[in-house]
Amino acid sequence: MSPAPTITLIDYDAGNLASLEGALDRLGLVHRRAATPEQAAEAGPIVLPGVGHFDAAQRSLAERGWWRALPELVAEGRPLLGICLGLQLLAEGSEEAPRAAGLGLIPGIVRRLGPGVKVPHMGWSQVRQHMAHPALPDPKGAWLYFVHSYALEPSTESVYLADHGRPFAAIEARGMVMGFQPHPEKSGRPGLLLLQSALTWMGARTPVPEEPCN
Amino acid sequence: MPAKRVIPCLDVKQGRVVKGVQFKGLRDIGHPVELARRYDAESADELVFLDISASLEARGTRESWVRDVAHELSIPFTVGGGVSKVEDARSLLRAGADKVAVNSAASLRPALVTELADAFGRQCVVAAVDVKRDPELGWRVYLKGGTEPTARSAKDWLWELNELGAGEILLTSMDRDGTGDGFDLPLLDWASELPIPLIASGGAGREVHFLEALEHGADAVLAATLFHENLLPIPRLKAYLAEHDLSIRI
Repeated sequence: MSPAPTITLIDYDAGNLASLEGALDRLGLVHRRAATPEQAAEAGPIVLPGVGHFDAAQRSLAERGWWRALPELVAEGRPLLGICLGLQLLAEGSEEAPRAAGLGLIPGIVRRLGPGVKVPHMGWSQVRQHMAHPALPDPKGAWLYFVHSYALEPSTESVYLADHGRPFAAIEARGMVMGFQPHPEKSGRPGLLLLQSALTWMGARTPVPEEPCN
Repeated sequence: MPAKRVIPCLDVKQGRVVKGVQFKGLRDIGHPVELARRYDAESADELVFLDISASLEARGTRESWVRDVAHELSIPFTVGGGVSKVEDARSLLRAGADKVAVNSAASLRPALVTELADAFGRQCVVAAVDVKRDPELGWRVYLKGGTEPTARSAKDWLWELNELGAGEILLTSMDRDGTGDGFDLPLLDWASELPIPLIASGGAGREVHFLEALEHGADAVLAATLFHENLLPIPRLKAYLAEHDLSIRI
């Protein structure tokens, strides 16, 4: 019997896990925190949250063994969802930390927002579909909550785009690796539905009640 | 440009949301989670909780309700009140707050703002500033809910807060607070020139006041009684603002 897919939340002192756990509980999705790769669930999607500085987060992930483990897990086919700074860490690099490389699991560079707009970009912005994706429907102008000063440059494969002074990638996906720039756990009902769609597509399941044996 | 935000402000004392009643002290209006759920459902864009508990012991209960709110709420929230060092902020953010608000402690020790921005990123740092009009300074910064004047000019202080690393300014006009006469618009005119988002507070009484504040450059508008008492339901306010061509999340 294969192990039940449990969502692994990477716990590395750089993410707001309380809100994310609340959102997953409301969706009925099973999850656990993991400070190191050894603590990860045996199967199921891995979520890389993140707030704060790119280089501090990179160091913290490296200290806990995640920086080396994540590309290996992804190579084995493990689904990975980066949220906010988590998305930025998946990219090749960021202007926020010119000397540190990103994980390179998603092509592209993260650049500072502005000039000419208030930075950080903090608040609700509308997103629009750029490329169709099997898991994520056309958002039809849904409002999502953003808090960031840097953003991934859009690519031809960006799933959703948003604007703050210029267009940027709101959702970027490559196979089973996906990154959300907005905070789905902070974006009201549209955010919850997006989280549910992405994680379910990645293999997360709500627990099925046991059948009575007769 | 992100949507203009409508933000209810909740005062919390010893783990309960309270409301000041003139000459009668405080009235208990519910648990933070109950009100958080209500405002989430009413399409508030964000919540601000200000912990007015006087003692450190009373603040000990704070982490527990902050955790409960984070678990239930699907919109962002800020917690303020007595944050005077990095560790205070860390415990709130760890419990699930999205941002922390600092007021007096930042005025007494401005380096606090930089320490918080360095530790958590400036997007987590809301600088709350209470001001009153002043013949000498234009607008003067006050502490302790408008009772204690400082030597600071509001204009200098807001720009300094930006330099120090504040990610957002919550600006309250103590002249207008509680009057229902409308926001201090000339104040917002210059404060909105800051390169960081501005939350206008103090004076909201009717729909048009919110519209004026947003047209005078505020990025967000904050009120308490109007929303708590349901004198102005948030969905009605947001519909009104959207009708006036503002970018509003409906």
